[in-house]
This record gives sequence, structure tokens and C-alpha cells, in this order.
Amino acid sequence: MTKKRIIIGGIVVVILITAIYAWYEYNRTVQDLSDVRADYSVNATALINEFVSNEDSANKKYLNRILSVKGMIKSVEAGQGGTIVLGDTSDMSGVRCVLDSSANTTAGSLQRGAVVTVKGAITGFNKDETGLLGSDVQLNRCVISN
Amino acid sequence: MNLRIKKGIISFCFILFATSLMAQDKYFTKSGSIQFVSKGAIETIQANHRSVTCVLDSKTGAVQFAVLMKGFEFKKALMQEHFNENYVESDKYPKAEFRGQIVNNSEIAYTKDGVYTAHVKGKLTMHGQTKDVEADGKITVKNGKLVANSDFTILMSDYNISIPKLVKENMSNTVSITVNCTLEPLKS
Repeated sequence: MTKKRIIIGGIVVVILITAIYAWYEYNRTVQDLSDVRADYSVNATALINEFVSNEDSANKKYLNRILSVKGMIKSVEAGQGGTIVLGDTSDMSGVRCVLDSSANTTAGSLQRGAVVTVKGAITGFNKDETGLLGSDVQLNRCVISN
Repeated sequence: MNLRIKKGIISFCFILFATSLMAQDKYFTKSGSIQFVSKGAIETIQANHRSVTCVLDSKTGAVQFAVLMKGFEFKKALMQEHFNENYVESDKYPKAEFRGQIVNNSEIAYTKDGVYTAHVKGKLTMHGQTKDVEADGKITVKNGKLVANSDFTILMSDYNISIPKLVKENMSNTVSITVNCTLEPLKS
């Protein structure tokens, strides 16, 4: 009799744990990157060059990683959450960092020409096929780490 | 002066003039936004992209969009992971592209403030599939900038995106897409 009880109890516990885990997983929000260690630390211009010279190998190396990118601010764009663009002002290409909406308050305080380090999730390389716009490395969920 | 050199100078000036004209005809943005919503019986899937690239040639009416699939932001992490890994397979197909044409381009006065309706026809490439897409949009010309808005729907099945059987009842095959871009004149 007790054996049966233990088995039933065990099954109930397993179901409960599974349910709690599923519920937690289902409601899990996208991680805030402030406390996450970057997989790679790179310079903005070096990162662009790496993608320009070999997109495939750069994709393999960087995609789905968290990057810490250091560079000069080319421009600051307002709008939802805000975007800062790092890179060389003489070049149309840049590293476009879409800020995490929770980091919105810091976007306004950033100045063009300042050197900053931005941590974010890389979303890929948008190669320019028109020859007019420059190719960009894009990051999102970005936070300023210095 | 040698006639040939003269001709050369004239054609050079002409090219210079023509390209400077062309450059002024183009509008672009790199921070456009695209939102998509798919309402199913139980689950509503919603995401936002804030780094949409768009180029519009006001002279020819040619319009192009480029979107990195991994840049879609979801509230729920699990949804974002499933979207990238199981649905659009963003490692394999990192980019979505639209190349099209404003059919009624002559009706839009790009230099005059106002609101214009644009009929757009073109090809959308996503998840390795290319399909014809037709949509109506609105172009608002104001102070030399263009605000482009459009709503249209696509079917996931058109792009070979299959919904797992287990959740087929809960999810919709129809995806509503909202485009919102502010285009600035392209200076060269």
C-alpha cells in the first residue's frame, strides 16, 4: 500500500515540477544584457572589416553571440529605444546598435565623436547592394557598458 | 582644344550632373520599423524590428527593403528562440528582402507636401522563397522627408514556414505586417 502511495506521490511531484518549469519557460522574457558577459570584445571598424572581407566566416564566428564593441559615435538616432551608430565618419558603413528600451534614458546623453563601448546581441550583417548606403553590422538589445 | 577632349569633358560633366540629379532623387533610411502580428486561437505572436533598411528612387518608383531576421524583438524569449530556430531558420536564411515598384509613381509629387497613396508591387524573399506581393501604402511628404506606411498580410505557408502539428490549432497561418519608415534624401 505504501509503495503505491510513494509511486503516485512521485508522479504528482514530477508533473508539478514539469508544470512549474513549463510556465516559467513560457513567460521568460528576453534577457537584459547588462549583467551578461560578452563573448567577444572588438573594435567597431575591425568588426566591419571582418564582415566585409569574409561575411560567411564572420557570420559563423559572431552570430548568436553577445558582443562588446568599442568605437566612436557617428550618430545618435532618436525614435523607439534609440540607435547609436559606431564607426568611421568618412565611411558610410557602421555598427548600428539598437538600444534596449530600458536603456533609453542614456541615449540622449550620448555625444557624437565620443568613444564608447556598447554591449549587444549581434543580429547580422546587412550588405549594401546599392553601393550608396554602406554595409552595416547590426546589434540589438544594446547597453552602454562604460 | 582637341575635339575629343572637349567631348570627353562634356560627357564627364553630363555624367556628373546626371549622377548628382540621381542622388537627389533617392531617399533612404536604416532605422525603419516593421512589426508583425499573427493572431491565433490561443497564441498571439508579435514582434518588432527597428533597423529596417529602405531605399526609394522617386524618379523610377523603385523601392527596396532589407531586414535581418535575427533583429526581430519579442517580449517572450521562448517565442524569439522558436521564431529564429524553428520557423524562419535565421541561421540559414539571415535576411529578408523586398524589391518592388510603385506602380502609380507619377501620381506622387515628392517635392510637394501632402499625403499620397502608393500601389506597390514586387517580390518578397524570405526563408529561401520568393513570392509576389502587392500592397497599398501611404507616402506622406513633409519638409523634404518621406514617411512611408503600409499594412499587408502574408501567409507563412507561402514561404515554406511550417507550423508544427502540435500547435497548428492554436496558431494562425496569416501574418499581418506593418511597415513604418521615415526616409531622408540621400546625399552623395
